[in-house]
Amino acid sequence: MSNASSERDDSARERLQRWLPKLVLSPSCVLVLFFVYGFIAWTSYISFSDSGMMPDYTWVGLHQWSRLWTSWTWGIALHNIWVFGLLYIVSCIVLGLILAILLDQRIRAEGVLRTIYLYPMALSFIVTGTAWQWFLNPGLGLEKTMHDLGWQSFSFNWLIDSNMAIYTVVIAAVWQATGFVMAMFLAGLRGIDGEMIKAAQIDGAPAWKIYARIIIPQLRPVFLSAVVVLAHLAIKSFDLIVAMTGGGPGNATAVPATFMYSYAFSRNEMGIAAASAVFMLAVIAALIIPYLYSELREPRS
Amino acid sequence: MSFLHINNVHKRFGETHVLKGIDIAIEQGDFLVLVGPSGCGKSTLLNMIAGLDSISEGELLLDGRRINDVHPSRRDIAMVFQSYALYPSMTVAGNIGFGLEMRKVPRKQRREAIDRVAKLLQIENLLDRKPGQLSGGQRQRVAMGRALVRDPQLFLFDEPLSNLDAKLRVDMRTEIKQLHQRLGTTIVYVTHDQIEAMTLASRIAVMRGGELQQLGTPQAVYDDPNNLFVAGFMGSPSMNLVKARIVEQDGLPVAQVATDASTLTLPVVRDRNALRDWCDRDVILGLRPEAITDPASANHREGNIHEAELPVALVEPTGADLYVVTTLGGTHVNARMRPGTPLRPGERTRFAFDVSRMVVFDPESERRIRDERVTETTPIGETA
Repeated sequence: MSNASSERDDSARERLQRWLPKLVLSPSCVLVLFFVYGFIAWTSYISFSDSGMMPDYTWVGLHQWSRLWTSWTWGIALHNIWVFGLLYIVSCIVLGLILAILLDQRIRAEGVLRTIYLYPMALSFIVTGTAWQWFLNPGLGLEKTMHDLGWQSFSFNWLIDSNMAIYTVVIAAVWQATGFVMAMFLAGLRGIDGEMIKAAQIDGAPAWKIYARIIIPQLRPVFLSAVVVLAHLAIKSFDLIVAMTGGGPGNATAVPATFMYSYAFSRNEMGIAAASAVFMLAVIAALIIPYLYSELREPRS
Repeated sequence: MSFLHINNVHKRFGETHVLKGIDIAIEQGDFLVLVGPSGCGKSTLLNMIAGLDSISEGELLLDGRRINDVHPSRRDIAMVFQSYALYPSMTVAGNIGFGLEMRKVPRKQRREAIDRVAKLLQIENLLDRKPGQLSGGQRQRVAMGRALVRDPQLFLFDEPLSNLDAKLRVDMRTEIKQLHQRLGTTIVYVTHDQIEAMTLASRIAVMRGGELQQLGTPQAVYDDPNNLFVAGFMGSPSMNLVKARIVEQDGLPVAQVATDASTLTLPVVRDRNALRDWCDRDVILGLRPEAITDPASANHREGNIHEAELPVALVEPTGADLYVVTTLGGTHVNARMRPGTPLRPGERTRFAFDVSRMVVFDPESERRIRDERVTETTPIGETA
């Protein structure tokens, strides 16, 4: 009799064990489904609705989308994100690769230097933006210091120059992400077979040719990862710009993310804001989904 | 003057002394195999010849030229690596031609050289592929092609076959040997596999713990080992090493070995003079499995056969041979007998010992006890 009850116990425990992972995971799964995918669907719907200050569920078709694409500020935002994104990605990759190659020369203080380069990534964009805003503010930072030191003719006022302000954002963003890209490249460089470099030395290749012909071509997956990571960071960039320039002077540093924020919360144009948000999501998805697909598929082949 | 002269070469990494004064000299066309267990310094020595590791002390001469401080690319050497080290972003042709390209050989000449080597190695149909699309054996060929195309004075091979499966390894071994015979190149080859060393080498250098244990022809190293390590390392199954005692009988030294019931007395033929000093002392006898056999297969014409009846502990047929295990001096001893010999464990049978092949070691220093001779390992007429 006790035997039968213990058997029942066993089967109950087994059933519990089978269901436990599902039980534990399901609340977070439901939350993610609702708050991430649910709101994506909701935002998409809003972009086809007549929403202004408050959500309004009247279907207006592509009306908000056509308003978005004829908007002059949206054009500026798109232009800015191109300039910012391109410069940001290219500079981070070039500088990150150079730093990684220099760090890979078996130098003594590598651990310390690697940490120093990587630290900016630990800061939030708000902190980076604020710090760089102070540093580049002509009345507070670099320019004033130079003046105080006696270099009166020194001038660096890009932050308040509407033609140059976008480049200050690039400088701050590059400063923050370069160390991270460097770490990616360093990991890639460490994965290269040392015998291959020895073989190239015996073949008579000088160091720069070993890098150009043998090592860098092998870092192609790292380049791909770096571009994807940086590109989606660029498109999502919002806090850095808000903290540093607030999108100004004027619209000089407006990007799609700041555009979306200002149309949603200060200009009472929720429909246009939703359309711009969905557009950004689509661009990021177009970048990330093929990347994830190729990354996740790889182990099988 | 020899072609490659390694003269008292040392290597130190900080406090650790990796190579403790290596002396090796080989002639043009020699196939030198550096063999030893892992960590013996053989790869370090090869890297030093290649110029990939610096030389702490000593001299390295190639064709009379001191190359201690010459850059790897100017030593006129080529190397085949264990991992093959092919450049994955280049085609096979690009891989083979890279060294020529770096030496600014014109495109047309380069193409001809690549085609010639590809034909030699039968990889013509692979020239446009990338290394990632090749099998292990094909990669191995490309790696050899990359070395051959430059036609260097000296080839270095660093365990080139260790990543291949057993069957392919044997095939490639044969091919390397054929290539060496056809091209007459000088090769230094590193391996931990003593069979590879025996089959390929014209000279074997057995190394252990950064020291050269013995340098000689494969047969000399096999038949006439310098010490217990070389005796145990070379040959498969390895040499039987048996505890024994040297006593004097009728004015001559003989070896006494304990068997299950009594004592086996084996006459000493080799190194008799040296062994006179060892009377009433313990020694270790070395006998190859093929020197212990059944009376019918024993080499009565050349050998000096001494028979004894001993118990059979174990029988291991391999098809080609029958290994019979018995106990001598407290250890298991392998005897190689004719296959099909009807033997069962527990039986007693007659074993024939070829005492002319028996070698004797000092159990303390582990060195060979041998008569003084002029030069032991280089047979006359082999020096070029």
